[in-house]
Amino acid sequence: MDSHLLGWLAVALYVAAEVYAIISLIRPRVPALPGHLLIGAGLLLQFADLEARARAMHSVPYKTIGGSMSLFGWMLGLSYLALLFRHRDRAVGPFLIPFVVLFSILGLLLPQPATVTARPDTRGVMFALHVTFAILGYAAFTFSFVLSLLYLIQNRQLRRVKTGLLFSRLPALDVLGGMIRTSVSIGLSVLGVSVVLGIIWAERVWGRLPDAKLGAAILTLIVYGFLLWKDRRGWVGERVALLSILGFALIIFSYTFVNLYFSAEHVFR
Amino acid sequence: MSISQEARLALLGWSFRGAGVSVRERVAFTADEIREALTSLLSNGVISEGVIVSTCHRSEIYSLAADEGARWQLTRFVSEWRGLDQAELEGSSFYRAGGDAARHLFRVAAGLDSLALGESEVLGQVRQALSLARESGSTRAVMHRLFESAVAAGKRVRAETEIARHPLSVSSIGFELAMKVFGDLSQRRVLVIGAGETGSLFARHAVEAGVRGPVIVNRTASRAQELAASVHGRAVDWDGLAGEIPQADVVVSATSSPEPLVRRSAVEAAMRERRGRPMLFLDLAVPHDIAPDVSEVYNVFSYSIDDLEEVANENRARRAREVPHAEKIVEEELENYLGWLGNLSVVPTVTQWRRRLEELRDLELARAPAAERERLKGLLDAFSARILHEPMKRLKGEGDPARKLDRVEAVRHLFDLDRDS
Repeated sequence: MDSHLLGWLAVALYVAAEVYAIISLIRPRVPALPGHLLIGAGLLLQFADLEARARAMHSVPYKTIGGSMSLFGWMLGLSYLALLFRHRDRAVGPFLIPFVVLFSILGLLLPQPATVTARPDTRGVMFALHVTFAILGYAAFTFSFVLSLLYLIQNRQLRRVKTGLLFSRLPALDVLGGMIRTSVSIGLSVLGVSVVLGIIWAERVWGRLPDAKLGAAILTLIVYGFLLWKDRRGWVGERVALLSILGFALIIFSYTFVNLYFSAEHVFR
Repeated sequence: MSISQEARLALLGWSFRGAGVSVRERVAFTADEIREALTSLLSNGVISEGVIVSTCHRSEIYSLAADEGARWQLTRFVSEWRGLDQAELEGSSFYRAGGDAARHLFRVAAGLDSLALGESEVLGQVRQALSLARESGSTRAVMHRLFESAVAAGKRVRAETEIARHPLSVSSIGFELAMKVFGDLSQRRVLVIGAGETGSLFARHAVEAGVRGPVIVNRTASRAQELAASVHGRAVDWDGLAGEIPQADVVVSATSSPEPLVRRSAVEAAMRERRGRPMLFLDLAVPHDIAPDVSEVYNVFSYSIDDLEEVANENRARRAREVPHAEKIVEEELENYLGWLGNLSVVPTVTQWRRRLEELRDLELARAPAAERERLKGLLDAFSARILHEPMKRLKGEGDPARKLDRVEAVRHLFDLDRDS
């Protein structure tokens, strides 16, 4: 389906979910279920759109920039739903759903070549899993970044005794801390698996370990691993949030600077 | 929307706005006194329906008066009942009639006439007043609907505006801050230092906020034990204070100690023992019980009484900003009520009743053969007129206004007449 009608319908549902989340933030008594259903239905439709892309490409749709953005948006939606069910607090919705909307729209607007000629060395299940897990990991880290910003905002409001609308609607620090822990744990696990799969694949196909991008990914794992370790040993709170922001900065660095200047072979387009 | 002639709503009241505590104390009613007063007012024929709202800030008698001299008769009744000077009572009272009386009740239920704007307690008190009046047999259609509508307006105001959302008491604000740090407080430990009036208030509020078994420390052990027993908590000797601090998530302190009781070094040691888990201190004492530099310790939140009072002032301003929205809701609900009340007049009801029968007649005639219609119409009209004659005569001839309104209400309900209006 070239027009990506299902993808656009999914975006419309995400936008409706965002509007509903904002209403819920202002009026906390409105029921939660419609918001969950909108996100759930959006995820199903976007999955159908991704599947259509996958059939056309004969691959997980990460081989075009549009496909990978769309997949990233879908993974964000999935992570959001996981956080919602784990922590039962929807007040973070208005801040997280816009990322789902943004990346899903980018996935639909960015170039979609009619045919994709994938490099022969990128075929196979192991490579597909390596990339898919990496995207899921980065989606989880994106949310840990946003949640960390919310943590710092709420922490600042508590320190300065500012008890306005945002203060009353944002979750407690304890809840936000728990959400950061959950999203970092998800991100760390799946990125770890992705790195291991990538190393095995690289040794098999290239006969050597690749480059700076692997180094950046391992550094990312170390930072987030250190975060979880310190979280259990008394760094609970502001410092963990700051470390999570640092970890995300490292991901952005890896995706931009390292990708552009140090890792030409590791960019599969 | 005007009120029907039959419905003479009247309100005589004494509130904190016009009556001093000394007057309010003397005109306050207990639950038993409310029942007794309503029964007496009914049997004397002063009112045909009535409800009394009595709280520490107001005593208000809402009534469906038998005649226009309601104010004088009600004041005389209270004056004789309480043995008070009638002139003094009149001077400090206020009187509202018709829609103004209804509006006042709606505003009271919405918390718009309260000393603490938007307070929620008054809604329960209005509901309780209706319940007492029902027990006394002093409510029928008009008062019942008036109070139900007022309660609905009060609920809407609280659900649709922020007027009741921002706490005003320092204890509520303190625990709101604690909940924004810890979330659910049911698994948290609260330590209350000082079992005086403020300490007791906070210990009770902690329990209301979901805390189980607060720990009470006081210089006089017996007072700590007394308070601990009343909140299902645990009393600890004064010497055990230092040992309790690392265990507590929230520490509330309200003593008259001239020196700080909790110093930074003690809190730093406690945080090491707690492996950095957050702590929150509420210092309600003047001079301070908690050293000011305690708030500089990582993951420690410390608030003084000044901080809490500043939030209370901000919240008062936030509530005040919601007043126009709340007033709009009150007016909407009032319009609905007055519309219903206006329809309770006999004349429009009879007209609508007749029209409803004509509608039914036309429906039936449409199914009859055209040649027969004229003859059948005459027959059905005569039949309707016969059916309506006796009920209308009785309705118009009813002397007791409350009973008349009850009957009009019954007709409107049975024939679904409010559908048109």
